[in-house]
Amino acid sequence: MNLIEVRNINKYFYQPTKMQVLNNVDLDIEKGHFVSITGKSGSGKSTLLYLLSTMDTDFEGSIRINSEEMQGKRNRWLADFRNHHIGFVFQFHYLLPEFTALRNVMLPALKLARYPPAEIEHRAMDLLQLLGVDAQANKRASLLSGGQQQRVAIARALINEPLIIMGDEPTGNLDSQNAAIVFDLFRQLSSERGQTILTVTHDDDFARRSDKVIHLVDGRIAD
Amino acid sequence: MKLITNIKLAATIAFTHMRARLKQTLIATAGVTFGITVFIFMVSFIQGSNDFVQAVAFEQSPHLRLYNEIQTAPANIIDRTYPGNINLVSHVKPKDILLNLKDGPQVVQALQQDPRVAAVSGAVSTQVFYRLGSSSINGTINGIRFEQENALFNLQAKLVEGSFKELATLPNSLVVGIGLARRLNVKTGDRLEVTTDKGNNFSVKVAGIFKTGLTDIDKQQSYASLHTVQRFLEVPVSYITDIKIKLHDMELAPAMLPELQAKYGFHGSDWKQDNSALLEGDALRKMIVYGVAVTILLVAGFGIFNILTMMIYEKMKDIAILKAMGFSDTDIRWIFLVQALMIGITGALMGLVFGFLAAYGISKMPYKSDVMITLDHLPVSFSAVYYVTGFTFGMLTTTLAGYLPSRKAARVDPITILRG
Repeated sequence: MNLIEVRNINKYFYQPTKMQVLNNVDLDIEKGHFVSITGKSGSGKSTLLYLLSTMDTDFEGSIRINSEEMQGKRNRWLADFRNHHIGFVFQFHYLLPEFTALRNVMLPALKLARYPPAEIEHRAMDLLQLLGVDAQANKRASLLSGGQQQRVAIARALINEPLIIMGDEPTGNLDSQNAAIVFDLFRQLSSERGQTILTVTHDDDFARRSDKVIHLVDGRIAD
Repeated sequence: MKLITNIKLAATIAFTHMRARLKQTLIATAGVTFGITVFIFMVSFIQGSNDFVQAVAFEQSPHLRLYNEIQTAPANIIDRTYPGNINLVSHVKPKDILLNLKDGPQVVQALQQDPRVAAVSGAVSTQVFYRLGSSSINGTINGIRFEQENALFNLQAKLVEGSFKELATLPNSLVVGIGLARRLNVKTGDRLEVTTDKGNNFSVKVAGIFKTGLTDIDKQQSYASLHTVQRFLEVPVSYITDIKIKLHDMELAPAMLPELQAKYGFHGSDWKQDNSALLEGDALRKMIVYGVAVTILLVAGFGIFNILTMMIYEKMKDIAILKAMGFSDTDIRWIFLVQALMIGITGALMGLVFGFLAAYGISKMPYKSDVMITLDHLPVSFSAVYYVTGFTFGMLTTTLAGYLPSRKAARVDPITILRG
């Protein structure tokens, strides 16, 4: 079953001049797969990811996630959709610095409000434990090391049990040891939990070990 | 329900932001507090003074006055005789009319029955010369019935020495204004001469001295009994020139005046006409207070605006990440609006408290005034209206100051920030 179906996507940048970034992109991503998007810088791989993330709404074509069309939806609906179904891991960790690690993980779930706060805290603790950073739970996020922050960020991406986890170079800013830990975590989530994962990477090693690689060249998918 | 939990969550994030920037938050709050404090303090003080001056002036001013005025005849006799012709009469002299109110005592009695009327006094007032030795000072004598006039103007409270009671029992006795008594150098029990405009001289005895606080009155006015003044003027006992009316509700006066004028055919004026300059002054002073308060609050508003705008620039990343997590534009707007509202509410409430304390403090300051004899402390008004207004003002400025940056925050494009 296809979790993501992309049909005929065209995307333009207008600054400084009009330029086509994505050219008739079609792709399908199956549930449970660990997919990497690769390509040179400027090939449109990040642009494609942010279109799939539903944060970029300025495109031509059709994106369906979990059978829902993303084209033409309102900000509030899309925000709610992200909250329910998409977890993000970024290159620069991006935790909220004034909040504790635990609080950072809890925030998307508090927003979703599917469970009462005590239950959410319990689940967040479990996730931090799973990722081996439960000792840092009550430290302020700004005091954590890079590798720890990225693991907290992964816990945060997982808290709402999303359909899909999206990563924008999640290992790009980590040393090789931490990068290996993060990669193993993704691998493990994919194989053990059947978690769909979609990451942009220019780490060839990372890409080679994923289930599927989508290689972009000049805004087109290369075969 | 969902909305409330969203706002609650936004509020907890807002609180964390504010705690991380405690100093800036406190300074912004202090700005609002200061603005509201100054507003409450100034408006209480100015309103207190206005109220006091009004009370002094209005005690001497009836709500309605009925009287007659000398005037030119509206049509001359040639016009009436030859209505078709063009008639020219140069320099028409004013008609010689009696200044008395026709059936005055009956009108007074009728007005006493009116349910809107609290008190009525019929009086005769006339120009005279007060003379002692070689000095001669002009002024007016009010011929009154003490009980009636006292019900209107609380004369008893203004008595400095002597007694008003003697006016009725002792013929040819006067209670004189304190300024007049000083100029003539007389005190209770002394005698002086009064000359009327018809040239009649009377020897009168000073029965007492009063002080209203209004120099114009104290320097030239005196009270005598109605009969005494009627005798000075050689007029019958039905002759009265003024009817002064006090109403239960003074705001009815302007509406009642035309009704009474139409009914009795007298001239008249109400307290608003008599004190228009005073009322205008009050309105202008109040405008100045509001102007100052708005200026201070605008400055405080700019403070809030600056702090939030700066915070939003610092928090661009956080905003982007929150949006990626699934916070909508509206949620983001709430986070920053809540901060402005918290600063506004705290600042405004503290401003009300400090403003009250400052106003209360100054109301306890002793203040002696030679003009305003009944004043021993600074006059301060504690009307709740100004506290409500102050709070509303504070909330309006801070909401506006918070709304603009929060809208900017809501419009932050997460992609440009997340892509770096």
